[in-house]
Amino acid sequence: MKRRRDRNAAIVLHTVLIAGLAIMIAPFVWMVLSSFKGEGEVRRTPPTWLPADPTLANYRELFERLDFPLYFTNSVIVAVLVTVGNLLICSATGYALAKLRFLGRRALFVLVLGNLMVPPMATFVPQFVLVSNLGLVNTFAGLVLPNLALAVNVFLMRQFILSIPDDLLESARVDGAGEWRIYWRIVLPLTGPALATVGILTFLGSWNNFLWPLVVATTEDKYTLPVALALYSVGQNQTQYGLLLAGSVTIILPILVIFAVLQRHFVRGIATTGLK
Amino acid sequence: MRTWARPTAVLAVVAAVALSGCGRDSGDNGTDDAAQPISEGKASGEITVWAMGTEGEKLAAFAADFMKENPDATVKVTPIPWDGAHDKIATAIAGGQTPDLSLIGTTWMGEFARTGGLDQLPTDLVKEGDFFPGAWDTAVVDGKAYGVPWYVETRLFYVNKDVAAKAGVTAPPKTWEELTAAISAFKQKGGATWGVSLQPGGTGSWQTVMPFVWQNGGEVTNADAFSFDSPQVSDALGYYESFFDAGLAPKDLPQGQLEPDFVKGSIGAFISGPWHIGILEGQGGAGKYDVWHMPSRKAATSFVGGGDLAVFKDAKNRDGAWKFVSWLSQPQTQVKWYQATSDLPAVKAGWDDPALTGDPMLAAFGDQLSDAKSPPAIGTWDQVAAAFDAEIERLVKTDETAADAAKAIQQKAATIGTGI
Repeated sequence: MKRRRDRNAAIVLHTVLIAGLAIMIAPFVWMVLSSFKGEGEVRRTPPTWLPADPTLANYRELFERLDFPLYFTNSVIVAVLVTVGNLLICSATGYALAKLRFLGRRALFVLVLGNLMVPPMATFVPQFVLVSNLGLVNTFAGLVLPNLALAVNVFLMRQFILSIPDDLLESARVDGAGEWRIYWRIVLPLTGPALATVGILTFLGSWNNFLWPLVVATTEDKYTLPVALALYSVGQNQTQYGLLLAGSVTIILPILVIFAVLQRHFVRGIATTGLK
Repeated sequence: MRTWARPTAVLAVVAAVALSGCGRDSGDNGTDDAAQPISEGKASGEITVWAMGTEGEKLAAFAADFMKENPDATVKVTPIPWDGAHDKIATAIAGGQTPDLSLIGTTWMGEFARTGGLDQLPTDLVKEGDFFPGAWDTAVVDGKAYGVPWYVETRLFYVNKDVAAKAGVTAPPKTWEELTAAISAFKQKGGATWGVSLQPGGTGSWQTVMPFVWQNGGEVTNADAFSFDSPQVSDALGYYESFFDAGLAPKDLPQGQLEPDFVKGSIGAFISGPWHIGILEGQGGAGKYDVWHMPSRKAATSFVGGGDLAVFKDAKNRDGAWKFVSWLSQPQTQVKWYQATSDLPAVKAGWDDPALTGDPMLAAFGDQLSDAKSPPAIGTWDQVAAAFDAEIERLVKTDETAADAAKAIQQKAATIGTGI
């Protein structure tokens, strides 16, 4: 009796979950399928699922008109530097704000919080003027520096590190470990899940960032993927949807691969910290 | 303690630099001084150009002829996406990081000229009379020219031939009354579900509505003030609304449905620019439609859009940039550019070339261009246009009257101001 009820519950649960999943991935599936359709079919109403006349023309046009390896490399360089920078700087800052006592700690933390509350668009132009005055327009430094340590990540790391018991750090200090050593050997390994979150969100944010690279890169050779992909798909008065969809698929693919490869590690990270 | 002193100091510097950078806009307002002439002779040095989309893609190779004529000059083109181009140029002006010249959307000229980002058109570089007047006006801010039109487009009625034949409409309507009659006939006799598709509000719908306002003698501004609250404007809005009220035009047409439905004949007509020739061809509509000139009330005006070329105040090679602009404005260059990109010439003489006269469809656009307008180049146009679009949506989809809509647009526009 009880078992049957469990099974019914499982069936209901799975039905709901599958329905939810279908709703969520349907647009994605349509995007992937439609990137193989001609312009006329993409615009057809009601929309079709499978391409009636599958074509690689969109991809061919995309790769022919764009220096793809260059933009891809630029995107990877920027995203990797920004992610690594955030992981190191924000965790170190978070550790200091959470566990170290020094003058102005509270003021600094308030500054970080204040930073979170200013809408990014408000600081966009001043930030560009600053980068321009530093002579960093059209350089990788200009693309990376402003995003190297994001306030939201500092906040996230600080909140997470707060939960590490002080005793653990004290015992390390008693054993003669310096602050750097404690940060590197004890705090960092214990913050796996927070680092994973910061890493994923920062990488995604940097990978998809459009406006900042668009403005900072003043010649093509510094364009990142999202900027390059927007070049020809969205025109002044019309949009080439096939090209746009093929570009979107191309830009999402590397992210999907990273998730697929690293997903197990993220899950394990969360599970093991639970045991400790 | 010592370790934290430095970041705070850096922050202070950051704030100071950012603030001093911001002060720039108010400081040098470039609209007061007079136009400067450029040097004689051939262009030299590096000329950096930004251009959007197809223009950016094709211009680099196209400029080879210019470099042949001016061996000491190199033209460096950076293609930028239309999506975000406005923000990129605006930010570049604020940061003093502009190229020498750029393609500028016609409705952005007022804003960029007023922020002091653009150089005034040198006297005697080009002749105003060579260009379509509506296109020329897009580059004129406060009576001074800040660039030249590069290419143009205008809007016509696309009409399904079968529907028109079945409805017994044999000639393009000449007046508003004839247009209404023709569109009704499309629905009643022509077998179309919708006689016409007109933008029911939403981004850019002003481009479809304003021609009717102009046809009726209405204007965006009168002297320095907005003049939306006039009988000419409200009558035109009422006329626009009448197509929706009579069930002749759909109030909610899903994006992408227009073209297939038009080719099938369930939409009889719509208003658009020359790019729809290509789109309709892709949907199997080639040869199935005609294009009509705008109907007349007091005038038969349409909208003129396209792109202008402007040189920036911060240009490193100002003279070279203007010489390149002058070269791009020559009739034979304009014709070659048309052949490379299908961009329609902004210079009237370009239309006398057989490359353009041979195509009756194009000739219709050329004909309309001599009676086409764009809104005055005021610095706040994008905001005013957004308010206008929102009000059109209310006019079409709620029971707001045309007079109230005109009043509301006037009120919102007055609040935004003309930026003068």
